Amino acid sequence: MTSNPARLRRNEALLAFAMLAPSLLFLALFTYWPIVRSVWFSFHDVLLGDPEIFWLGAENYTRLLEDHLFWKVLGNTAFYTLVTVPVSILIALLLAVALDGKLRGLAIYRSAFFYPVMIPTVAAGMVWVFLYAPGYGPINVALESVGVPQPGWLNNSRWALPAIMVMSVWKLSGYFMLILMAALKLVPSDLHEAARLDGVGGMQRLIHITIPMISPALYFVTIIGVLHSYQVFDYVHVMTQGGPADSTNVLTFYIYQVGFQYQDIGYASTLATTLLLFVLGLIGLIAATLGRRVHYLGER
Amino acid sequence: MNPSNSNITRRRVLTAALAAPVISKMPWVISPARAGSTVNLQFMYPVGVSGDINTIITGMIADFNEQHPGIVVEAVYAGTYESTEQKVITDIGVGAPPALWLPINSALQTFLGVDALEDLTDVAKADDIYEDFIGGFLDTCISDGRLYGLSFQPSTPVLYYNKAALAEAGVEAAPETWDDLFETAQALTIRGGDTPSRWGLTVGGGWHDWIFEAFCRQNELLPWEGDKVLWDRPEAVEALQFWKAMVDVGCMAPSSTWQGSANDFMAGSTAMLYHSTGSLTNLRTSSSFDVGVAMMPKRKVWGASQGGGPIMIAKNQSDAHKEAAWTFARWMTSTDVQAEWGMATGYLAVRKSSWETKVMQDYLAKVPEARTALNQAEYSGAYLQVPAYARARDVIKSAIDRTLVGEIEPEAALTAAATDMNREIARVMRRQRG
Repeated sequence: MTSNPARLRRNEALLAFAMLAPSLLFLALFTYWPIVRSVWFSFHDVLLGDPEIFWLGAENYTRLLEDHLFWKVLGNTAFYTLVTVPVSILIALLLAVALDGKLRGLAIYRSAFFYPVMIPTVAAGMVWVFLYAPGYGPINVALESVGVPQPGWLNNSRWALPAIMVMSVWKLSGYFMLILMAALKLVPSDLHEAARLDGVGGMQRLIHITIPMISPALYFVTIIGVLHSYQVFDYVHVMTQGGPADSTNVLTFYIYQVGFQYQDIGYASTLATTLLLFVLGLIGLIAATLGRRVHYLGER
Repeated sequence: MNPSNSNITRRRVLTAALAAPVISKMPWVISPARAGSTVNLQFMYPVGVSGDINTIITGMIADFNEQHPGIVVEAVYAGTYESTEQKVITDIGVGAPPALWLPINSALQTFLGVDALEDLTDVAKADDIYEDFIGGFLDTCISDGRLYGLSFQPSTPVLYYNKAALAEAGVEAAPETWDDLFETAQALTIRGGDTPSRWGLTVGGGWHDWIFEAFCRQNELLPWEGDKVLWDRPEAVEALQFWKAMVDVGCMAPSSTWQGSANDFMAGSTAMLYHSTGSLTNLRTSSSFDVGVAMMPKRKVWGASQGGGPIMIAKNQSDAHKEAAWTFARWMTSTDVQAEWGMATGYLAVRKSSWETKVMQDYLAKVPEARTALNQAEYSGAYLQVPAYARARDVIKSAIDRTLVGEIEPEAALTAAATDMNREIARVMRRQRG
């Protein structure tokens, strides 16, 4: 039987397209079309609940400049991202390396550190609201017993955002740990043995062997972490509603407030478009810097 | 008030007789004989105070459904006032609003802005609504002389106080003026560590903007007009300076949450609390001490902002649904139902006749505190009825919060808040003018 290569390729392409079609359709309907529509809305006055829309040109974008809250919210989001992502990855890395050996009761430790990931966000938020409660919350009770000042945490505009960030690190690290542990399994053990024979210390081995070898996984968790941080909404919604004094208000929550609480879908779309551009820019920046330093096994 | 019940009955009969010919001309008020099939109504409601309101509402709906074959009301609990409003607005946007809903009274302009409300003026005039509802409550549902809802759960903030704490501190009476309030709050504060182990005073957070408006009114300022907010006026600045002074001396909690502040009061970690009268029954029955209720202390005058909300009926639905929705709204605001609802929660019964019923009279004899909010209602008015009120609430809350934690001075905070908000209101008005 002879086969026509061109025809085979075409059949393959058709098959591939047919298999991709359902998810492409889904993406187009529920992701790309809304994005296009949101960009379109961002140039209009759109009121939630009212089908009529009015052309505004760039007015919504110039509003961004005079909107103090937008800049505050942007700052909060950047602060949240810049701290939670590196800290979560660092903790995850240390946990993963520590749990990589042949420790007694390894599975128990692993489950224990992974456990926060399995708790639904809203439930976790409620638990932390209780932990942070001024007066009877366990954290303040513990601080009081050792005579350390107790801030009002979620009620205090200085501490509320860091308090949410602590919880976020607690929740993210276990997830990252699992990914990094899987990566560690792929690091050839002979590299470590050779280095050990040459008298290279543990920390040096971590920096010069482990980290480069798992850099694809680190790159992956960085991207996931940044995306996650820019999208943080649920913790804020459950724990503080953006307060006190907007100290925990972040971009996605602000978009929700403007769009659904204030019905101002036009301006909310402007914010969403801006967020999209920021995230794309940031990911591009990470890809251009960190991404170039990623070392893939088998590549030269 | 007339304590006799027979008059009410006679008035009702007369009203009904006079109303009959008018009602029959209303496009959607048709004789019940038409109702051969069942009409299903969705009623979205929030819980805005402390206590098990859900159970109470569910019970009321069950009673209604039992008494009204042909109408099935499905009560949809939609969270807070804010989330209820968002759900309703979104449903309006897609052309499928619930038949009725219960927003905060300030949302009137928001719903009128999307042309969502059935005008109830004529059917209410044909009924006894205008005669029997307490005037101030009905006013919160009126725009340009037309009625767009039936007040269901009006409230005002009141000052709750822990009687035992006052007695312990040797304070004989609840404060009547701002100066008294300051002194009493200081006398009731118990220091210990960084934060007092008992605050003298807590203003229920989350709705402290509503309570702040009451303070403005007590200083003879209604801090808004139809198309602008007036938070930058000296009377408002003085009110915020007064709060800040109390926070600075450490007798008032700088921040709190709505449910949390009620819990703090019941747990004894604050001795006085500004909260909704709708929380009265829960605070009274769940506290281990005697709870006193006072009118909010005055500055120049007594003053209160009205909270709670009316039941509104969607414009975009069939006549049969409107008719059934009116039946339901009318029942929820009827004399006996309102008396029961008021007693179960602490919300103010909307009808004069509810206050005259025997059960209510007996209750008031037993719980005289329940009358405080009614007395105060005389000095109260609608709360923040401006376009874009939801944003206005967030803007003023943020200004107050930032002031109380010492980030900004009262005058600067309020001036910036008023400027920002008035710009937003102008934007919304421009749209409405087209």
